[in-house]
Amino acid sequence: MAQIETTVIQEARARDTTGILAEMADVEMNGVVSGEMAAGALAYLAEMSPDLRGGAILAGDGAVLAASGRPERWREDAAALLEVADRAGAEPAEQVHIATEQGEVFALRHAGLTAVAVTERFALASLFFFDMRSVLRDLAAGGDGRGADAA
Amino acid sequence: MPPKPHRILLDRVSGYADEAAAYMRRRRVSREPFARLYYPGGRASDHAADSLAGAELFVAAGRLIEVAGKRPKP
Repeated sequence: MAQIETTVIQEARARDTTGILAEMADVEMNGVVSGEMAAGALAYLAEMSPDLRGGAILAGDGAVLAASGRPERWREDAAALLEVADRAGAEPAEQVHIATEQGEVFALRHAGLTAVAVTERFALASLFFFDMRSVLRDLAAGGDGRGADAA
Repeated sequence: MPPKPHRILLDRVSGYADEAAAYMRRRRVSREPFARLYYPGGRASDHAADSLAGAELFVAAGRLIEVAGKRPKP
């Protein structure tokens, strides 16, 4: 794909943000995440991101904890995406961002959980990844995904 | 010596045309599909749509977009 200067600037911003986030301490899974909590976290993600069309939160084994309809399809298609992403590089991908004319797909693995989301075109990628990461971090720590907003 | 009036008009029109062309160029680039993977440590890699991995990623993404459907109305 041809790259021009404007894209490089965007890429640098995304790369730097990823670098900063990568330095933040990971929270390990603090037990089993319930489907109810995951559903609440997904609803919170939708609340924070008006561009969100749908998404799913998956456990480490690929089981769907929560999804915006048709969990079986989300499980299959998310697994297929992550499998392709892992094959594309030498190591498993931590984040996936694919932009198409029809919409954008985000996937993030964090703290033993995976979040997959589909948004409208031109969603703010860094912000969206940040929101997904904070929701997964809170879920893994035993929260409901809302973090400090829960109080 | 002041420029001839028709010269001012031509300059203005070509200025607007340049602006429009630049806008269309930027718009075309920003609408370009891409597939980007990020790895622990901040490394990222782009996969072109005409590469094998890129094509597979776009197919997998297309299926997820299909599952998600349209944005729910508020």
